[in-house]
Amino acid sequence: MSELERFSSRLLTRRGAIVLGLGAFGAGALAGCGGTPTLPAPSGSASASGAAGGSVMDLAAFDAVLAKGAVAADSVVQASEWAKAIKAKGQLVRGGTDTSTLFSLRDPATGKVAGFDAGLSQLLAKYIIGEPRENLSQVTVDTRETLLQNNSVDVIFATYSITPKRAEKVDFGGPYYESKSAILVKADNTSIKSVADLAGKTVATQSASTGVTLLKEVAPEANVQTFDDNPKCLAAVQQGRVEAYVIDQSILLSNAAKNKDVKIVGDTFGNSDKYGIGLHKGSDALAFVNAWLKTAEDDGSWDALWKATVGQVLKTDPPKPPAIGA
Amino acid sequence: MDQLLTTYLDELLAGLWVTARLTAVAFFGSLVVGTAVAACRVSPIVPLRAVGRLYVDLFVNIPLISLLVVVTFGLPDIGITFDLFSCAAISMILLGGAFTCEAIRTGVNAVSVGQVEAARSIGLDFFGVLRFVLFPQAFRSVIQPIVNVFIGILLSSSLAGVIGVKDLTLQVSEINNEAALGLTTYLLAAVAYVVISLLAGGLGARLEERLRVQR
Amino acid sequence: MSTVDSLFDAAGPRARRRIRILTVLSLLGIAGLAAVVLLRFGQAGQLAADRWVEFTQGPYLIFLLAGLGNTVTAAAASAVFALPLGLVLALGRLSVRTPLRRLATGWIEFFRSVPLLLVVYIFVSGLPQYGINPDIFWKLVIPITLCSSAVMAEIFRAGIKALPAGQSEAGLSVGLSRGQVMRSVVLPQAVRIVVPSMVAQLVVLLKDTTLGYAVSYPELMKTSNNLTAYTNHLIQTYLIIAAVYVVTNVFISHLARYLERRMSGRAARIGQEALEAGFG
Repeated sequence: MSELERFSSRLLTRRGAIVLGLGAFGAGALAGCGGTPTLPAPSGSASASGAAGGSVMDLAAFDAVLAKGAVAADSVVQASEWAKAIKAKGQLVRGGTDTSTLFSLRDPATGKVAGFDAGLSQLLAKYIIGEPRENLSQVTVDTRETLLQNNSVDVIFATYSITPKRAEKVDFGGPYYESKSAILVKADNTSIKSVADLAGKTVATQSASTGVTLLKEVAPEANVQTFDDNPKCLAAVQQGRVEAYVIDQSILLSNAAKNKDVKIVGDTFGNSDKYGIGLHKGSDALAFVNAWLKTAEDDGSWDALWKATVGQVLKTDPPKPPAIGA
Repeated sequence: MDQLLTTYLDELLAGLWVTARLTAVAFFGSLVVGTAVAACRVSPIVPLRAVGRLYVDLFVNIPLISLLVVVTFGLPDIGITFDLFSCAAISMILLGGAFTCEAIRTGVNAVSVGQVEAARSIGLDFFGVLRFVLFPQAFRSVIQPIVNVFIGILLSSSLAGVIGVKDLTLQVSEINNEAALGLTTYLLAAVAYVVISLLAGGLGARLEERLRVQR
Repeated sequence: MSTVDSLFDAAGPRARRRIRILTVLSLLGIAGLAAVVLLRFGQAGQLAADRWVEFTQGPYLIFLLAGLGNTVTAAAASAVFALPLGLVLALGRLSVRTPLRRLATGWIEFFRSVPLLLVVYIFVSGLPQYGINPDIFWKLVIPITLCSSAVMAEIFRAGIKALPAGQSEAGLSVGLSRGQVMRSVVLPQAVRIVVPSMVAQLVVLLKDTTLGYAVSYPELMKTSNNLTAYTNHLIQTYLIIAAVYVVTNVFISHLARYLERRMSGRAARIGQEALEAGFG
């Protein structure tokens, strides 16, 4: 990479005039960042995000959960080939995203990733290494299985629903969470009160999400309109482009918490989506990760993490985590 | 292959139809807008000239993705809501108009000043110059650039998927999210794009040939 | 004087008065339109200070600047690979060896008429099915390289063909081989002619990198995506980002035009072709 940058900047210099602006411009930006735009995190500065009204999570509580997280005895780590290799590397490479509200969201101001998925991953990293050191590697819906199969990532926490088809290619630790879908409409909407009312209406959902298949099942007469991310789906509801937006309840709750012009109607519905921890198929990671998850659920970290993240918008007591191995 | 064809052919054709309609609408819209902007750029009215230049500088340089999002989610805030297909078409016309304007200007300027001066000196009036000297020659030298604009519009229609318009590229992507079909659907789509481009190029070449000056 | 200007006589007193009136009217029209847009936008609450404040805060700016840095990196890397590849393809298309010529022509025609996004999708979800799964950086840079190599090949070819045939004929007649003529007579001149067009092509590459959102490569478009997931200020973010792209690209275009003016009319003509290829 750096070799390439040096080469390209040499090329630009040759081109004389270009170096005037573009070169200096690019070099300045590059010098600041290197590869990925992860900012040096000023310690304990969760407040910086408050200004733009960004996170709805309780970041102080989030940090507290990590501080209290358990660390495994060295003998436990050495007993697992998978964990031993991660400890030797000094970091856990997680496949995930950084744009998932409540589950794994990067604060642009601090560069830190927080959320329920991010928290569990960092707890797992701390359990193995002694410190919550994770390295987030971007995955998309299409690449998750492949990245695990060719060992590009150690583990995937990415609201990764367990399906039989995926289970043929990867092992699933957990499940560690289950969730259902809900309906978001404009605050002044009175015509949609439940799934049955979606027939004949234009309904938004995120492309490549379980919402697409779910809507085909429960509301076959709805006119489905997909957008590629949550802000666009939300804007479509606010501007009356679509009448409703169906997706995982936790996503909708954070939308409703931040925007007064939308509301959630009716009960949650659909099969409960069980989120699993993606692992390389056939490795000894599965037993190790499930044992760790059991520890995290028993010592109260799971509850505390849920309260700091999803609980900030659900405003209820933490649910019972799904049975491991279910 | 058989299974693929029967299951997904309808969706692929629907995508192709959207792509074709979007390209056609955006292309003809671009011709109209591009001509109007080109007229602004040469008019003697200074503010219109400035607007014309600003228009071209802006839309030649803006990435279509940003424009799509701004048109789709920004216009409703000033009280105008179009359906998604129209939003895609409007964004593409705004961009295509700038490129068409530049193509027309280059075509007109390719006719040498001496020709116009000669025509005027033998007493042709303004419209006479346009009709008998300038347009026939400018039209010919504009064909190839306009064909390139057409192909540019065709390729850029693939970005309409960003705002959820189900064009050919988005359909292929969604089909492959549902079922792993290898490269078949991608290649089918690629062939469709190549065929349309080649047809447009061939048509342009024929037109150019027919209008060639016999010297 | 341009051809268009030669169409008109200098305006007389009546025409000048009419032009002055129209100037005032058009100014009023433009100002009125701008006012209505801003007013409506304000009424919708989109101009509220708290929706824009993040763009004045250091950390957010650094975050976006880092995205811009990655945009430049990806565009530069694509240029580094696409330039030589384009030159090789151009030479292939002009070659006297038929199979070579057909191969190069086929490559150029194919990648000139396939949408970049489709090629990106092939790298994101098509090829991984066959175990070909490069880093996300390469999933963006390789498709851009493939598509822009075809355009660059056409620019190189136009540059080579713009040279008078006498140049290579003279070379051949003094006993140089075809390869020698290409290397020491044609290419040095052709490359000089196409420099402005290649600079203009940087605009296209920069715009191409916006497809980074499709591969999750953290360039400017993806980082702004990231920012909107955080702030939900969709319009504000995309307007600011669009402005950044436009300013950067206008700068590059003006540089290209400046280089073009320092050269002959041949460069200008090829420059126009490069511009048309810059769609999207």
